[in-house]
Amino acid sequence: MKKQLLIIPSILFLFILLTFFYLLTIERNPSELPSNLLDKKIPKFETESLLKNERFVSSKEFGKEIILVNFFATWCQPCRVEHTYITRFSNEKGIRIIGINYKDSPKKAVKWLSSLGNPYSDVPVDKDGRIAIDWGVYGIPETFVISSKGIIKYRHIGPVTGKIYKKINLLIKDIE
Amino acid sequence: MIKKNFIIIISICLVHFFSNNAQTVEPDEILKNQEQELRARNISKNIRCMVCQNQSIDESNAPLAKDLRILIREKIKAGKNNEEIYKFLTDRYGDFILLKPPFKLNTFALWFLPLIFFVIGIFIVFFHNKKSKQI
Amino acid sequence: MVPSLGNLALYLSLFFAISQFIVSRKNKNLKFISLSVIGLLISSLISFFLLMYSHVVSDFSVLNVFQNSHTTKPLLYKISGVWGNHEGSMLLWILVLTLFNYFIFKLFNKKNSVFILKTLEIQAFITIGFILFTVLTSNPFERMIPAQANGLGFNPILQDPALAIHPPLLYIGYVGFSAAFSISVATLSLNNSEKIPWYNYMKPFVATAWTFLTIGIALGAVWAYYELGWGGWWFWDPVENASFMPWLLGTALLHSLIIVEKRKSLQAWVLLLSILAFLLSVVGTFLVRSGILTSVHTFALDPSRGIYILIFIALIGGYSLILFGLKSKRYFDNNYFTFFSKEGSILVNNILMVVVCATVFLGTIYPLLVEAFTNSKISVGEPYYNSTVIPIMIPAILVMGIGPMLGWGKEDKSKVFKKIFPSILITAVMTILIFLIYQSYSVIGIVGIVLSFWIISNNLIMLIKKNKKYSISMIIAHLGVGLLILGITGSSVWQEEKITRMKIDEKTKIEKYTIVFNKIEEIRRSNYIALQGNFLVFDEKRKIITKLKPENRFYPIENNFTTEASIHTNLFRDLYIVLGEGNSNDGWVVRIYYNPLVIWIWIGALVIFWGGISSININLRKLKTLS
Repeated sequence: MKKQLLIIPSILFLFILLTFFYLLTIERNPSELPSNLLDKKIPKFETESLLKNERFVSSKEFGKEIILVNFFATWCQPCRVEHTYITRFSNEKGIRIIGINYKDSPKKAVKWLSSLGNPYSDVPVDKDGRIAIDWGVYGIPETFVISSKGIIKYRHIGPVTGKIYKKINLLIKDIE
Repeated sequence: MIKKNFIIIISICLVHFFSNNAQTVEPDEILKNQEQELRARNISKNIRCMVCQNQSIDESNAPLAKDLRILIREKIKAGKNNEEIYKFLTDRYGDFILLKPPFKLNTFALWFLPLIFFVIGIFIVFFHNKKSKQI
Repeated sequence: MVPSLGNLALYLSLFFAISQFIVSRKNKNLKFISLSVIGLLISSLISFFLLMYSHVVSDFSVLNVFQNSHTTKPLLYKISGVWGNHEGSMLLWILVLTLFNYFIFKLFNKKNSVFILKTLEIQAFITIGFILFTVLTSNPFERMIPAQANGLGFNPILQDPALAIHPPLLYIGYVGFSAAFSISVATLSLNNSEKIPWYNYMKPFVATAWTFLTIGIALGAVWAYYELGWGGWWFWDPVENASFMPWLLGTALLHSLIIVEKRKSLQAWVLLLSILAFLLSVVGTFLVRSGILTSVHTFALDPSRGIYILIFIALIGGYSLILFGLKSKRYFDNNYFTFFSKEGSILVNNILMVVVCATVFLGTIYPLLVEAFTNSKISVGEPYYNSTVIPIMIPAILVMGIGPMLGWGKEDKSKVFKKIFPSILITAVMTILIFLIYQSYSVIGIVGIVLSFWIISNNLIMLIKKNKKYSISMIIAHLGVGLLILGITGSSVWQEEKITRMKIDEKTKIEKYTIVFNKIEEIRRSNYIALQGNFLVFDEKRKIITKLKPENRFYPIENNFTTEASIHTNLFRDLYIVLGEGNSNDGWVVRIYYNPLVIWIWIGALVIFWGGISSININLRKLKTLS
């Protein structure tokens, strides 16, 4: 009886070790969270636009083509670093990007975009950060890939790097 | 005079940093209604600060924590109950934002096993007791 | 020059560890063994002190020094910074391993030669594992040429005296369990025809490990309370749990070893438990250093380190557990314990400690399991542990009160009632008294107070009785637990908090105290500048109690801020003030905490430590009479 009792803890021991091994070998970031909105429709929002006179209404813009949504701010250093890749999405790949300006000063944002270049088709303003909360954003920059039907397909936390740039481009080819 | 200038300069520097680093529950956040404020604190204590290591939004300095604290208080004042507030947050951030794991299928083992362990333990004690009386 | 020598010493210690392994297996020549053990100790001492030297003189050609130090860092933290990082802490692990290795060797005599040699063989294997890990993945003597003029500094919140000695104390704990592990595996692999009392050898190591783990954990909690700025001291962080789990199993081991000594019973159980205690210690090391999860405590993330440690755990865990499966049969017995006996209460203690340990382990790794098997992430935080661990601890503490008073074998129930009646009375009286004073009625508060006075009064009675059969170290340690529970209950249940905005010369009230915001000023030290608030505290009679000076510090080199709380402590409560942001126009955010009975947590832990030291002494003396 006692011998069999020992088999169960040994199997458990092995199981736990294998799980740890698996987690170590796959590509993962232990502090990163998968978006809870994947494969769901984008959260609707309506707010003022940074550079245009009319308000930005999400239901009017999404659901027609593939769009990238990039949460950014002028006080965010990594946002500045990823700017070249964001610009490349728009210039080289012709993808529409909407840049949501998060908790920022509109004056500073206008200056920032005019000096670095504006890759965004629209810049809705998220003055108090509530739009970001609706999108489950917890640290900017964050970039979302939205399908032509308005479904969130992918979220990246942190600045877009070369690797992520390639990954998003491949992803866009697959979805519609 | 120089000392006063020092203080002003340091204050400005620290304010600049601290304005991006709000302190935990600030006096201006506190609701006038004590019962509502207590509810807000209790809910906040169960919400994880997503940009900190193992802190609740009630304790955290982070700006996002402050935003969520204020949002929770707004919803309480608007008459939402606790379930609705938790659902609002988990819809957006997933179950990860809860410090107390919810009772779901994927946490069944988490909540059930300690009870099983305890019952097995009690069983062993009774087994021993019974066997000792047989000898 | 110095770092290269240090690196050489490190490789030399690997050489000696391997030679100890080979000689204790094959050659068994006492001279060679002695050479290996001492060579191992000295070479690891040399490599450790050479790393320390590099830190103290700020030799930035050493990558480890560059990454973790700066010329302006105070000397104390230059020294403790040696083990405040991953690579340096491995050198400390190795040093303590070689020290305990030496202690095992000191036990050698003609009678136990086979047994001690076997133990040394296993201990050598473990030591090889740790040194190889250090040399292959985490060598602190790696160079950085050309050397920079200055280093990156050291996280300011870690620059604290309690945190400085916290790791060495914890490592004594983990390494002590490694010795118990080696003794267990040696016992299982030999046929022990010489009837070596392996449990007599194991007990001092377990007592030492447990005692130092206790004080190490307590110092970590002290640091959290004083440093982190919101009065908390335990957060069920995965790395805290990593030290708590071996402590729980160590507690169980300490108690069941008594049964093995006195009754020769539960031997197989103790052999298994000592294996598990060390395995959990290494799993804890894995969780902290592999990068599998993030926490305030984790060192830099590196999956390759994790894989190495995992393989090491698989090897020693697999070998020891399989060995236990095959060879433990002869240690089983047919003794069963009735509930109303000393053995019975120790059995209850063991079972409940293991149940709590299993629960904490479950909570710690569950998020990893969910992540691996589903596509979601959950978090297990403090509320989970509070709901599960506390209810299980309550019966354990109740049994802890009367257990020591019970005799071996069966005990007459009426006799027992006579023994505990005075403590039931005292407990009831003290509980009612406390509630009259504090005027706050909460269920968990009542439970906490009842439990703490239950333990305290039972042990005071045993102390007064001066009966030789009540071990004095047990009484002291148990009293410490009672005081600890008192402190935990008071500070959790009756904490008062006040958050307010104050301008200079304004005042506010908390409990019976009036607090006046006197002034705010800048202070400069060698490695930080700070904004310091001065607060005067008056009691209800308008007499001044103290001046509190919380600070907000800026460390320019690390570009890091810390908040330093200012605390006034007495036996009844802590007054705890934290300065927030603000300016002279709008005033400053001030948070004031009234934390009752906090100091009893620290006093309790110290008393437990005292009891542990007493136990180590007694067990060492017992060991001397053996040889």
